Amino acid sequence: MEMHEQLSTLLTKAAEELQATRTRPELEAAKARYVGPNGEFTAIMKQMGSVAKELRPAMGKLVNESKARLQALLDSRLRAIEDSELSARLGPPIDPTLPSPDPGPGTYHPLTLVREEVCRILRKVGFTVADGPEVETEFYCFDALNTPPDHPARDAQDTFYFPPTTSFDNVTVHRPGERYLLRTHTSSVQVRTMLKGPPPIRIVSPGRVYRRDTTDASHSANFHQIECLYVDRGVTVRDLKALLDYLFEALLGPGTKTRFRPHYFGYTEPSFEVDLSARHLPKVNKEWIEIGGCGIVDPEVFKAVGYDPDVWTGYAFGMGIERLAMTLYGIDDIRLFYQNDLRLLRQFAGGV
Amino acid sequence: MKISLNWIRDYVALDAAVPEITRAITFLGFEVEHVATTGAPALEHVVVGEVLACDRHPNADKLSVCRVDIGPAGGVRTIVCGAQNYRVGDRVPVALPGAVLPGDFRIKQSKIRGELSDGMLCSARELGIGEDQGGLLILEGRPALGAPINDVLPPGDTVFDIEITPNRPDCLSHIGLARELAAGFRKGLTYPQEKFRGEVDAAAKSDLFEAVQVDTPEDCPLYTAHVLAGVKVGPSPAWMQERLRAVGLRPINNIVDAGNYVMLEYGQPLHAFDARKIAGGRLVVRRAFEGEKITTLDGKERTLSARTLVIADAAKALVVAGVMGGENSGIDPSTTSIVLECAIFRPASVRWTSRSLGLSSDSSYRYERGVDPHTAVEAARRAIDLIIETAGGSVVAPICIAGGDVPWKREVELTSGFVRERLGFDIPEPEMKAALESLELNVAHEVQTADGARWTVSIPSWRDDLDRPIDLVEEILRIHGTERIPGARVTSIGLVAEDDPVVVFNRRASAYLVGHDFHECVNLTLRPARELTTWVSQTAAAELALANPFVEDQSHLRPTLIMGLLDSILLNQSRGTAGAPLFEVGRIFVEHNGHNLEGASAAFVIPEDAARHWRRREPADFYTARHHLAAVAAAAAVDLGSAPITPVTGPGNAWQEGHSAGAGAIDQGWVARFGLVNLALLRSLGIEGNVLAGTFTILPERLSDAAPRLRFRDFSLFPAALRDIALVVDRSARAGDVRSEVARAAAAAAGESFAVEDVGVFDVYEGKGLPEGKKSVAFSLVFRSPSRTLTDEEVNIVFQRIQDELGKTSAYQVRK
Repeated sequence: MEMHEQLSTLLTKAAEELQATRTRPELEAAKARYVGPNGEFTAIMKQMGSVAKELRPAMGKLVNESKARLQALLDSRLRAIEDSELSARLGPPIDPTLPSPDPGPGTYHPLTLVREEVCRILRKVGFTVADGPEVETEFYCFDALNTPPDHPARDAQDTFYFPPTTSFDNVTVHRPGERYLLRTHTSSVQVRTMLKGPPPIRIVSPGRVYRRDTTDASHSANFHQIECLYVDRGVTVRDLKALLDYLFEALLGPGTKTRFRPHYFGYTEPSFEVDLSARHLPKVNKEWIEIGGCGIVDPEVFKAVGYDPDVWTGYAFGMGIERLAMTLYGIDDIRLFYQNDLRLLRQFAGGV
Repeated sequence: MKISLNWIRDYVALDAAVPEITRAITFLGFEVEHVATTGAPALEHVVVGEVLACDRHPNADKLSVCRVDIGPAGGVRTIVCGAQNYRVGDRVPVALPGAVLPGDFRIKQSKIRGELSDGMLCSARELGIGEDQGGLLILEGRPALGAPINDVLPPGDTVFDIEITPNRPDCLSHIGLARELAAGFRKGLTYPQEKFRGEVDAAAKSDLFEAVQVDTPEDCPLYTAHVLAGVKVGPSPAWMQERLRAVGLRPINNIVDAGNYVMLEYGQPLHAFDARKIAGGRLVVRRAFEGEKITTLDGKERTLSARTLVIADAAKALVVAGVMGGENSGIDPSTTSIVLECAIFRPASVRWTSRSLGLSSDSSYRYERGVDPHTAVEAARRAIDLIIETAGGSVVAPICIAGGDVPWKREVELTSGFVRERLGFDIPEPEMKAALESLELNVAHEVQTADGARWTVSIPSWRDDLDRPIDLVEEILRIHGTERIPGARVTSIGLVAEDDPVVVFNRRASAYLVGHDFHECVNLTLRPARELTTWVSQTAAAELALANPFVEDQSHLRPTLIMGLLDSILLNQSRGTAGAPLFEVGRIFVEHNGHNLEGASAAFVIPEDAARHWRRREPADFYTARHHLAAVAAAAAVDLGSAPITPVTGPGNAWQEGHSAGAGAIDQGWVARFGLVNLALLRSLGIEGNVLAGTFTILPERLSDAAPRLRFRDFSLFPAALRDIALVVDRSARAGDVRSEVARAAAAAAGESFAVEDVGVFDVYEGKGLPEGKKSVAFSLVFRSPSRTLTDEEVNIVFQRIQDELGKTSAYQVRK
């Protein structure tokens, strides 16, 4: 047989045989059969010496072309085998529409979301977050806040007390023999902070507070407040209004307005109630919603913590977190916050 | 408190519309809770008409066709009417086409069963002025035909229900509020004209009543009594009754009503005795005898204590002072002589009495908040004027008075500069001064200083709440208007301060748990007593009890957050919501060796996942709980791994024995518990499936220590040498103990030559090939030198030494 016929037959056979290989060893064996030392193609190459001299250039070209084609067949088969090996490792393709069997995502409680958002907004204007005990004493909860001894707020009708024999080692008293109680507002944190060091002070104190009250859609035996206190030289009513305008615009968006109504609190003078106008919120059907109380710190409070009221001035603001959350999210029963129904919690995934 | 606008207009000429007045009250600092309008609304096209004729409707038995004259301008109309209560000749309200009655009821010409009706004859209800009295409103006194109905009907009134803040007892009265409104609207204030000025009717002079005696001046700083004779008890006049009713009081008789009227006018409670019922002709203000009884005017017998203040005669208690009169001395139809009490009682005393008897009244409400002693006599004289006007009689003895001898004088100095400094914006000086004076805070003296005008302001006796310059700043701002506070930007100076460490811990622990698919919960702090004893000792439960719980099942502080989290699991289970991992951060309260402590805590629960999933994941176990707890502890800079971990033991525990563990102790700063919640407890709660839980509590003061800044520790770049060792130990031996033993032996064997970098458990096995009651624990040891590559030889020597050491000194057997 002529050499070029041999080559052509060989290539056809090799193509068929390589196509049938499924694994690397099969491919290696096949490769050895053609281009190994005893391979068929190697044998043909060896015949080149016996080819007539004038035919050699043409034959050489033919042999080289055949060799390249054979190599291409081997390469392509190797790639195919590698691909099939990879897909064997992957297994069958996934169904991307199936849900993940893993739980989640985790969620923050809506009260935490609101609290953290307020803290974040206030931190930007220099407030740091303060904290204090929930069990308090009469001094921190009432006396230091200019609440007279016979004021109804401190009556056992409205405030939870502990028996006179109960005390808490890590809740410090100001005077020996003070009675322990559950704080009725987070203002006690302001007192503790002021007693800890000199002004200036700029704190926000969120936390749990307690009132002896009937539980219903808008009242709970414990609820949460968030309060700000700023003490410095020359703090004014206008500064206070500026803070609240900033806070509520940051919280509720442009177009949110606040207004002050004169009111009375023992620990501020003058005192105001703060109303919020945010018609763009869901379920807000009144022009103004009462949201909190504020005022200029009463000089008596400064005297109680040893600050000179002729030098230092300050403002304080406080509001209920539940009420704010109810307004923001359109929740109309406070008890929902304390039931922890996952259908409520899951609504706040990743939430603001 | 309820305030009638008609009444207010006696003192100040308000012409503003109701919404404007409501707004003014609000911005003066009094919350308006409700506004009620009585009387007819403004009605156009409703006029007076006279029924000229009335014929049966041809097509309806119950209807009539009337001819109604509405005067020269309107002529005679035909109107179909369904009412039966009128007669020909009666004058009635006629709504003509175009009228809009309350409820947006529009009147137009129409055909009713074929008969033309040119308007409607109206009932009181249709006009919005009351209930139907069986048909049409028949107008009395034959008003002019065609007159607009509003000219004929009595004018209405507007009653504001207002919340008065505790600092303003002076506004628990119409004059007090009128004073505020006069200032708010820049109007003058007219006080009632005083007629009686203390003169005694010599002709009727009487010794019916002798004297008052105050035994307790500390609780009754002023007591006055006026004696009137010749009064005739009867109903009070219609105008007075109308006003009392408008603000929610029931008229009784002219004497009692006059007292109530003055209380609502001046804020001074008054009480009238029938003079004949005062035994011995003397009134004594004294404490009650323990157990003394009195039947108050509400018909209830009350037992008094030795702390209760009473007004008594020679024989008996007549009045619970400042709270309510007794049945035994009140005014009755036969009363002709009265003793009128006008007194001041100390707020705390009245508050105590009112609370202890569970009895409050308009009088006690005012005394509790404080009544001005310096206007008491003025109020008494006003009441006498009204009694004489409505019941006749005369004052027959000089006033009997006890106490009240301290005259009022108070002045506060204020500069306009101070006002500006506190407000942060300017109000012109004349406006400031005018604001003060509009509230009768008169400027007695004025000088110019570098700080602007300096005013000496006289404070009237009813404004006991004002005694410092800052108090007057508030008054100026109220009158100026809090809505006019100008806007500004927040300016902030930088302060070197950080968030409280407890806040940082809460935030870190929460972020970890939320990031690991937990849902944050918020549960109540107060828990029932029976639940506490499941978790803590009887002693601890007693220490965490409130003195005055409001409801029985919220009587104790929570000693752990897990209680609430189990509630949350149960709630979701009962609502058919599949379980999910939950957590809470918050304060908990513990009793430890006789000390009570408040701790910052973070806790989580992992209920069994009962939901069906298309692919099942490995369920959580004890080590899942331990893993999460270690991360929570790390949020408080506590390394759980370096603390000894001990199993929780003992029956009656909230944790499952053999499947839970703990570390730390609260008296050393922190404590952790984790593992399986007691199965019996879960069953008793009704929770299905197992619950894994973890709780970490730290004392806030322990967190307060500023964490030292982290420092980089250099590490070796030379390769490690690894060796594995397996030990056969008792099944009950704890891997942690075995590991410590191995680590100790390894450290000893390596000595100074190189470091034992790690001793880690990589296998625990029991079963085939091991003796009964034994298990094998395998460790991988990592050796490394900071300065060179270790040779096999030197490592082998050390490793052999470890094996020898363990074989020699411990109960463990090295597994070959």
